[in-house]
Amino acid sequence: MHEVTMPKLSLTMETGKIVRWLKKEGDKVEKGEPILEIETEKVTVEVEAPASGILHKILAKEGEDVPIQKTIAIIREPGEEIPEEVAAPPVEAKKPEVVAVTEKPLERIKASPLAKRLAKEYGVDLTKIKGTGPGGRIVKEDVLRAVEEAKAAAVTVTPTPTPVTVEKAKVVPLTSMRKTIGRRMAQSLQTAPQLTITMEVDMSEAVKFREQITSVTEKKLNLRVTYTDIIVKAVAKALKEFPFINSRLEGDQLKLLEEVNVGVATAVEDGLVVPVVKNADKKSLIEVASEIRSLVEKARQGKLSIEDVSGGTFTVTNLGMYGVDVFTPIINPPESAILGVGRIVEKPVVINGQITIRPLTVLSLTFDHRVTDGAQAAVFLQRVKDLLEKPALLFIE
Amino acid sequence: MGKKTIAYIDAIREALREEMLRDPKVIVIGEDVGLGQGAFTVTKGLYQEFGKDRVIDTPISEESIIGACVGAAMAGLRPVAEIMFNPFMALVMDPLINHASCYKYVSGGQVKVPMVIRTLVCQGRGAGHDHAPFYASWFMHVPYIRVIVPSTPYDAKGLLKTAIRDDYPCIFYEHIDFYPRKPNLGEIPEEEYTIPLGKADIKKEGSDVTIVAILTGVKTSLSAAKKLEEDGINVEVVDPRTLAPLDKQTILDSVKKTGRLVIVETDFKTAGVGAEIAAIVAEEAMEYLDAPIKRVATADIPISFTNEKYILPNEEAIIKAVKDIC
Repeated sequence: MHEVTMPKLSLTMETGKIVRWLKKEGDKVEKGEPILEIETEKVTVEVEAPASGILHKILAKEGEDVPIQKTIAIIREPGEEIPEEVAAPPVEAKKPEVVAVTEKPLERIKASPLAKRLAKEYGVDLTKIKGTGPGGRIVKEDVLRAVEEAKAAAVTVTPTPTPVTVEKAKVVPLTSMRKTIGRRMAQSLQTAPQLTITMEVDMSEAVKFREQITSVTEKKLNLRVTYTDIIVKAVAKALKEFPFINSRLEGDQLKLLEEVNVGVATAVEDGLVVPVVKNADKKSLIEVASEIRSLVEKARQGKLSIEDVSGGTFTVTNLGMYGVDVFTPIINPPESAILGVGRIVEKPVVINGQITIRPLTVLSLTFDHRVTDGAQAAVFLQRVKDLLEKPALLFIE
Repeated sequence: MGKKTIAYIDAIREALREEMLRDPKVIVIGEDVGLGQGAFTVTKGLYQEFGKDRVIDTPISEESIIGACVGAAMAGLRPVAEIMFNPFMALVMDPLINHASCYKYVSGGQVKVPMVIRTLVCQGRGAGHDHAPFYASWFMHVPYIRVIVPSTPYDAKGLLKTAIRDDYPCIFYEHIDFYPRKPNLGEIPEEEYTIPLGKADIKKEGSDVTIVAILTGVKTSLSAAKKLEEDGINVEVVDPRTLAPLDKQTILDSVKKTGRLVIVETDFKTAGVGAEIAAIVAEEAMEYLDAPIKRVATADIPISFTNEKYILPNEEAIIKAVKDIC
């Protein structure tokens, strides 16, 4: 008999959500074959069978949040008999002391059935509410009060001309991805004094450069090189030259990181993920481009591994395709800076006293003021601009 | 439609008389119902009007009264029996439970047993263990027996007429507190009317807590509701009027609105009327409940000649139960 347990995929992971079982009870499974998908705060990953055999019993339902290391399924060898009590869901009973020490037993929340139903409807977390009913029971009024308070809090942040009544709102519970994005962005803004500087870049050469490369790569490699690819490559090169931007602040120490791992913010159906191109400075433009293509594809399918989204040292976020020119991206902690890319648009510019038309874009660099100052950040941004305006420089090591 | 004011006791007599006039198969039978005019004068005048063949005095033998009713009903009559006090129903169980309730179903409809048993709940008068108890859940338990508990003159007349026309055995409970005329006056239409079985009546609308109350519990609950209003608690009082069939929907709808339920009944608490209603609400409206269901009922002790004021539900107990969960 082999137990399948909820894997611990990262240092901070405490629970994983069962997204989907890929196998049914009674199915034959091969060692290493994916048998279910789980979702952590960061990604959705497939869990492989730890051994070959028959999937005897599934102990955790789809949608359930399961603590790490907890048994979620049992695989038996063909012909092996498994006593019913072993396959019964609460496996904890078998290891009483260990559980008592390591896990705090979940306290039952005292709430009326009506309060529970309303909490579900309004997406209210009952563990965060104080009950005022007999014996501290959470009752309807407590849930409605929490909804009102949440509404009031929301209204102070974004005042709206007409009062919004919660009763008329459609309530959408946040996905774990949304909660993670919210938490990390709030953490970033609360801890890092950050500001954004912008710089206009003439993309004439980059446009030509891209056309030349793409005409070849499209035929030979079936690969279109995008402006994002070129910008990631340029940024990686600049980061190598400006290590204080490629850094992480830990307490009173600034760690200048050796690796240049550039994250590419990627919009997915229900949010945003940041897959990372590792060692982007050491890779060729074509390598960077094809890696980004495959990461984006994985992101859209929700198949990014923890590895794919870890270890970033800088992030590039491109809103150009949505017609955005300038914005103030928020640093993706624990990184020290992030580069926002605007749309490329033809504009009249004055060069040598002549008005000419040039494709321009605006780069928006947000940096952590604890790490560096405006002048140094501007020099870094100037370097990125330089590389984009003279793309041939990308080939000088 | 014209209206008139009538006392509860007169509403019952009016129902009996109207049905006897309407249908010659309707007969009245029981101890002292004829020349004796009924122990509490409910059947006063009927003997004189309809004669000894249709208003029949019997010996003191409850089982033979009901046995005779079952036979008469099977032969085509529509007997209305009087069992003077509710606990005496223990004596009629065999003909009622094992025969009358089943025949229409088990004969495939060939035989029907249309009969009404009027019986009196004599609580609050020191009448003791064998006169005072109110046993309703005994009959709710048996399929195809109708259990009718009217709390107003309007309900009493309308429901008794329907019961007499119904093809199944009906137990029709009257309460001694309803017999004095002055405190039990109510409006009814001048014209003939009936009330369908299985249709509850909301005696008072409210939003904070539902009280399901029967018989005298309705009146007590309404007066408790008035006092609770002063404390800002808005009570809805639902009177099922018939316990079998039971209007589950009205009860469930009310509980879904208020989120709280108190059941007021003067039968014994254990396995009583409220137990069934509470079970239905727990089964079908659990996620609407904001508090535990409360039952205000008679304590599980034999009723003696002196203990009623301590064990019967009263206004104070209802107020306490409501406040416990509001």
